[in-house]
Amino acid sequence: MFFFFKFFKINSFAFYSAVLLFPMVFSSNAWILEAAAAEKLKISTAVMCEDIQDRQPKNEGVVFSIGKGKIFCYNIFENVSEKSTITHNWYNRDNLSTKIKLNIQPPRWATYSTIQLRESDKGPWKVEITDSEDKIIKILRFSVVD
Amino acid sequence: MESILSFFKSIRWQDLVDIVLNSYILFRFYVLFRITNIFRILVGLAVLWIFQRAAISIGLIVTSWVVQGLMAFAALIIIVVFRNEIRSVLQVKSITPLFWGAPQQTIHTPVQVISSTVVDLARKRIGALLVLPGKENISEMVQKGIYWNGTISKEMITSIFWEDNPVHDGAIIIEDDRITEVGVILPLTRREDLPTHYGTRHRAAVGLAETTDALVIVVSEERGTILVLKGSKIMPVLKKEDLELHLQEHLGLATKDTERIKKEKLEIAIAAVVSFILITGVWFSITRGVDSLVTFDIPIEYLNRNPSMEIQDASADSIKIQLVGSGTLMRSVRSDQVHVKVDLGKSVIGKNTFTITSENLSFPPGTFIKSFTPSDIDVTLDIPEKKEFPVQADWTGKLPENLRIESITLEPSSIQIIGGKELLKNISTIYTEKIPLESIRSSRTIVANLALSPASLKVATGFREKVSIECIVKEISPNNIKKE
Repeated sequence: MFFFFKFFKINSFAFYSAVLLFPMVFSSNAWILEAAAAEKLKISTAVMCEDIQDRQPKNEGVVFSIGKGKIFCYNIFENVSEKSTITHNWYNRDNLSTKIKLNIQPPRWATYSTIQLRESDKGPWKVEITDSEDKIIKILRFSVVD
Repeated sequence: MESILSFFKSIRWQDLVDIVLNSYILFRFYVLFRITNIFRILVGLAVLWIFQRAAISIGLIVTSWVVQGLMAFAALIIIVVFRNEIRSVLQVKSITPLFWGAPQQTIHTPVQVISSTVVDLARKRIGALLVLPGKENISEMVQKGIYWNGTISKEMITSIFWEDNPVHDGAIIIEDDRITEVGVILPLTRREDLPTHYGTRHRAAVGLAETTDALVIVVSEERGTILVLKGSKIMPVLKKEDLELHLQEHLGLATKDTERIKKEKLEIAIAAVVSFILITGVWFSITRGVDSLVTFDIPIEYLNRNPSMEIQDASADSIKIQLVGSGTLMRSVRSDQVHVKVDLGKSVIGKNTFTITSENLSFPPGTFIKSFTPSDIDVTLDIPEKKEFPVQADWTGKLPENLRIESITLEPSSIQIIGGKELLKNISTIYTEKIPLESIRSSRTIVANLALSPASLKVATGFREKVSIECIVKEISPNNIKKE
């Protein structure tokens, strides 16, 4: 090892320091990159609607009749850097009703989830949109009525 | 035998103190008021009360009402009419006489003053006629004189019988230490065996003495002699001491220091015994009866709560307690005399269950607990905390088919809430009260109250319990209405 240092004219202290610091620098760079990716995930549209027609939300609103039978949560994501997942957490009066995982892909992605409404679903609702790390991106609040 | 023993064991020392104390109060009441007319009136009232109870028990409706009315009226009359007597008993220089000793029962006639005055009048040959009534009422026998009511003194008696005095020919009536009337005309005797030198004054003296038990003293103006008359006896008096003896005998003062004191002591002893028996009887009838049952709804009092904790919830706010006791006692028991206390000293954050026992209950002495519900209380304690929550509208009803609420804006969109730490952990949204949709026809702003549940939640200072909701309402074109 000594000859190796001599041959390449490398200071042994500098070598060991580099060896020790390399994983740290690498890992911190990875975290910074990941955070940047998450920050870059931008939701440009997040609406509740009665239907999706031609990939567009129909009758957006915040109050929905139970008679419609279904309800949709429609999102458009911008600046998607890589394939990822988001989750729609549907809560009926703060009680988790269902979790729906959705894929998103670069560079721009539209997606939606839907639930079937039952008579007992009347009341206030919210959908929490979270990223792959369960970080809340957006909360949509609405009501299901007669 | 065992039942008698258990009966005596059931008597607490407080009960004995209760009986003795009240017996003494009744006894002192008798001692203080026995010399006044109030006591007689009170006895009359007691008789009326017994009469009223009897009337009720045999179903004399109107009689019982009338007697009850009379009693209420009599109680008022006692205070008004006997105010001076009550004042004389209660207006004492120190408080001791109220609790100890007996007031002077009788006012003694000043025998010595009368006898020396009479002897002096005889020596001066001033005619006089003095009447000391006995137990009989003499007002029917004499012709009423002039009301006087002056304290006896030598000068006063002498001046009354002074020959220039307009009333000197009549008799004076002496009651206790006062001359109550002067110029009184006495009935003349019809006896014919009297000495011829007896004038009208003597005949009047004999006339009253023979018809009543009064003692009459007559002083002869002409001879300067003194005669004492009682009944049919006519007794000449030569010395002052003899006259004193006659007076003392008539007034019952001869045996003053022995018999009177003995009699008074006996009377007081009887009063003490009667008071004790009476109060004991009343006490047992009031406290030992179990003929009445009353139910109270008593709020629970929580004690020794850790100041940093708050009661968030309790399974019951009050306890239903059934008390039994005598009818008389139960009628006077009020709900504020019954308490349910729960010690929170050892309680912890979260749900605490307390079993209610007799140690948690306090109620008036003489009453007994028959039952109480619930027997277990769950109390939830928590540390209060302030936390901010988003506010969400809670719509209800039905929106017209052609309308949709496109968006709403809440002001404020979030609100600070104060509540138990554990309670707030389970809350993520504060909802409004139900907002009916039927009234919405176009975009508008609605004000709604917050629905804070449980009730222990409070809105932090600086926030209102109302939110304004701005609704953007859009019409849906018929083509866009989805078939239900």
